[in-house]
Amino acid sequence: MATNSASNLFHAGRSLLRGLGSSSSGMLRSSQESTCNSFLAQQIRTFIQMRTNLKVVDNSGAKRVMCIQALKGKKGARLGDTIVASVKEAQPGGKVKKGQVVYGVVVRAAMQKGRSDGSEVKFDDNAVVLVNKQGEPIGTRVFGPVPHELRKKKHVKILSLAQHIA
Amino acid sequence: MRLEKCWFCSSTVYPGHGIQFVRNDAKIFRFCRSKCHKNFKMKRNPRKVKWTKAYRRLHGKDMTQDATFEFERKRNRPERYDRNLTENTLKAIKTIDKVRFRREETHHKKRMSGKLAKETKEARKELDQQINLIKAPGAMVKDTSSAKVTVKVQHESDENRMEE
Repeated sequence: MATNSASNLFHAGRSLLRGLGSSSSGMLRSSQESTCNSFLAQQIRTFIQMRTNLKVVDNSGAKRVMCIQALKGKKGARLGDTIVASVKEAQPGGKVKKGQVVYGVVVRAAMQKGRSDGSEVKFDDNAVVLVNKQGEPIGTRVFGPVPHELRKKKHVKILSLAQHIA
Repeated sequence: MRLEKCWFCSSTVYPGHGIQFVRNDAKIFRFCRSKCHKNFKMKRNPRKVKWTKAYRRLHGKDMTQDATFEFERKRNRPERYDRNLTENTLKAIKTIDKVRFRREETHHKKRMSGKLAKETKEARKELDQQINLIKAPGAMVKDTSSAKVTVKVQHESDENRMEE
């Protein structure tokens, strides 16, 4: 009889232990998930500054330029600003050559920019359209989406050439 | 002024709120708040996240097919301005809103109709199966347990006497 009661107690104890074990494993799992999420976090995008590489999205002949000076702003250029850049990669037979210093308008920026109504807009990559000193585009075509804020910056020619306006 | 829908949670994005992301193929993703934007950056599928409208529609939680949704749909044909038409539309918005609210309520009531019976059934099953968590199986049989204790005491006392 005494042994019977003892075995009952043992059963109860084991069930309690099992409960504890399951809860502890659950906590472990949750901590692992949180570490995974921190790895997934994206890179924080910032201004277009000296040595930023930008894609050229017109048919001027340049493929990649590097920013060497932002013409406005202390920290660097943002969406719609004009920069001075040096041509790093160019197609043969284009209007611009490799090593040339050119002006460009930032038409896409990965860093978000506030709009006039208070919302924000951001793009996939950093892209530029080459212009001359007067602000007229060198190429005759513009690829990909461009923001309508360019109108405010008096780059209506780029807007009219663009495929999509976002 | 246009009220857009959030890409992730399908709530209304009012002017001046949220952020929009423009992909290189010119597809625009609008987000109502940073919560939705972050979930998008984590590559979550709105159909698999429980609090979004997409999930609720997919799993039959919300009303999906109703004539009242047709009025709110985006039309690509520009409408010529007509004062009377505008006035009537503004009046109709209130009525349609009321109708939709009523229909959503009936949908919810219908969906929740079997809830009480189901919960009672589950609670009863849990009580039957896991009674040992609150009461030890030995304690269920009252008469034998009391007899057991007395026997044990007597036994021990006998042993003690023997040793002495």
